[in-house]
Amino acid sequence: MIPAEPLELLLVEDNPEDLELTLRALRKAKIANQIQVARDGAEALDFVFCEGAYAGRRPDFPKVILLDLKLPKVDGLEVLQRLKGDPRTRTIPVVMLTSSKEQSDLVKSYELGVNSYIVKPVNFEQFAAAVQELGFYWLLLNQISAPSPLP
Amino acid sequence: MVAVVSVAAALWLRLKMDPWLAGQPNFIMFTLPIMLSAYAGGLWPGLLATALSGLAVGCYVPALAGQTFATWWQEGFLMLAGVIISGLSESLHRTRRRAGEGQELFARSFRLSPDCVTLTRLRDRMILEANDGLCALWQARREEVVGQPAGRFIVWADEAERSRFLQRLHAQGECLNHEAKLRIRDGRELDFNLSSRLITFGNETCALSVMRDITGHKRAEIATARLAAIVDSSSDAIVGKDLAGIVTSWNSGAEQLFGYRADEMVGQSILRLIPDERQAEETQIMDSIRHNRTVRPFETVRRCKDGSTVEVSVTVSPIRDAAGRVVGASKVARDITERRRAEQQIRQLNAELEQRVRLRTEELEAANRELEAFSYSISHDLRAPLRAVDGFSQAVMEDFGPQLPADGRRQLDVIQESARRMGCLIDDLLAFSRLSRQPLEKQPVDMARLVRSVLEDFAGECATRQVEVSLGELPPCAGDHRLLRQVMVNLISNALKYSRKRTQPTLAIGCQTATHPPVYYVRDNGSGFDMRYADKLFGVFQRLHRAEDYEGTGVGLAIVQRIVNRHGGRIWAESAPDAGATFYFTLQRSDAS
Repeated sequence: MIPAEPLELLLVEDNPEDLELTLRALRKAKIANQIQVARDGAEALDFVFCEGAYAGRRPDFPKVILLDLKLPKVDGLEVLQRLKGDPRTRTIPVVMLTSSKEQSDLVKSYELGVNSYIVKPVNFEQFAAAVQELGFYWLLLNQISAPSPLP
Repeated sequence: MVAVVSVAAALWLRLKMDPWLAGQPNFIMFTLPIMLSAYAGGLWPGLLATALSGLAVGCYVPALAGQTFATWWQEGFLMLAGVIISGLSESLHRTRRRAGEGQELFARSFRLSPDCVTLTRLRDRMILEANDGLCALWQARREEVVGQPAGRFIVWADEAERSRFLQRLHAQGECLNHEAKLRIRDGRELDFNLSSRLITFGNETCALSVMRDITGHKRAEIATARLAAIVDSSSDAIVGKDLAGIVTSWNSGAEQLFGYRADEMVGQSILRLIPDERQAEETQIMDSIRHNRTVRPFETVRRCKDGSTVEVSVTVSPIRDAAGRVVGASKVARDITERRRAEQQIRQLNAELEQRVRLRTEELEAANRELEAFSYSISHDLRAPLRAVDGFSQAVMEDFGPQLPADGRRQLDVIQESARRMGCLIDDLLAFSRLSRQPLEKQPVDMARLVRSVLEDFAGECATRQVEVSLGELPPCAGDHRLLRQVMVNLISNALKYSRKRTQPTLAIGCQTATHPPVYYVRDNGSGFDMRYADKLFGVFQRLHRAEDYEGTGVGLAIVQRIVNRHGGRIWAESAPDAGATFYFTLQRSDAS
């Protein structure tokens, strides 16, 4: 699928229920139309850097990336490290969206340069509100320097 | 002098008496001055008087009397008699002189002897003579002693022994070096060496007795015997040696340790015991000894008779004579093989223990890591399905709500509520388990300020419900500020929760400072609880109230107890149903326990 409109949001989530609920919340808030989903860390990295299955896609970067922490293959912290360690993707805002309240995860994420860290509440209403707010903030309010396109 | 004068006097007398003695032998008159002179002066004055008398008789008298023949034989007789008289007198003189010297010698030694010497009349035990030594021992003057019965000053400790002594004295005439206990006048019982001999003195049978106080000697003997017994019974080797390193004494401990008998070692060099490579040690030791220094205990190796070596701890001290000169050394050696073995064993046990501790620590660390992974997984994985339960119930409600009957909608509400409640339980449980893993950061804590800051968080609720808050004295303490704040938050929120049904809720926070350590408390006038269930109060997920009366997960007080315990303190509560509750806690170990 090659979206005609510019890509707005990359959602990296392995849990199908969380994925469905997150998409539902985003759709309800009518924030993002162009949402790309990756089901694990490897797929997320392939997509961003146009490698593997995504080698032929139109090279553009999402405006924001919502990243789960615990992911199959390559976990969220490693994905974060790769994104923030690469000059091309360093400026893309990354929001950790996770169940973990562990202090160590939080500290590590900020050390790696995460832009926001959101703990998913059990309460769906609160969860939906959180997703809407962060989409609203990162996609509409926040002014970012446009990442340089891939060569 | 006597000779000249007496001869002159005799001559004069003879001349004066001549008219009456004419014709009588002339020499008779001169025997008198010869005898007088010899008696007074001995041999030489006697001979001088004889010679003078001879001259007088031979020269003047015949001239006077005109006699001739008769004079010659008279002359010869006088000379002979004079020589004999002089000789006899001389021998008498000598005898007398010798007797006088002997007497003086006796008297001197009698008086001066340090021993006690008495002369006692046997008949009535009357003391006829006593010397200074005796007077000193009896603490009496000589005049007080002489003439008194001996029994007033000295009594035999054993009367039977006295009888035996006297029997022997009578039978043999003497009894020498008899040891006996005698009680003297001041009550002391002393050991004496006693010698007596019967003598006749002034026609009376007397006993001349010499007594020597040997009490000190006896004591020293006993002490020496005891010391010798100690040395001999010691399991340590105790060896004496002179400055040349020749063994002078060798106890049975040394026999056992080194295998040599005393007769094999005494007179031999100590170097026999020292392994070749350690011979220099002895030189150093003797050097210290010569400088009057004790060689501190040191550990070394010695060679035994059978050629084996033994590990010993050795102390060497100088032996000094009465003048303080170092004349040798005493060496105490102790077998430390056993101790070495024990030390080795202890080292080995310690090593094993350390190894076990290391293993246990590793196991604990592994368990901790597992626990961490476990709580991580609870935190992450357990909440995801709950979110799905809650989220999809919400989705059903939103998408199909209008088509559902009222009962169906209520049941969906229950599902959602349960999921959220489980979320809370998981969060609290995680917080509780995190408490054990976090290190305690102790610092001075201003409890009054801490409590005021917590109360500010509850200010809204307190104002709305018109809670009457009273703050008592709250002394500072040492503790983890963040955790103590958690304690106060939990206790105060509990107090407010359980006094919710009161129209006049009160909350009192303070501290009893009369006790040590101080006891902080939080008191409410709420619904309280039955003390029968007090033991369940602080258990995880334990609740004393129904969920529909008071919400909660039952973790709050468990967290409070965990924090208080980690500070070394104790928490307890007093309450009765419907009569409010007071929670007390301390933050240090009580001194008594």
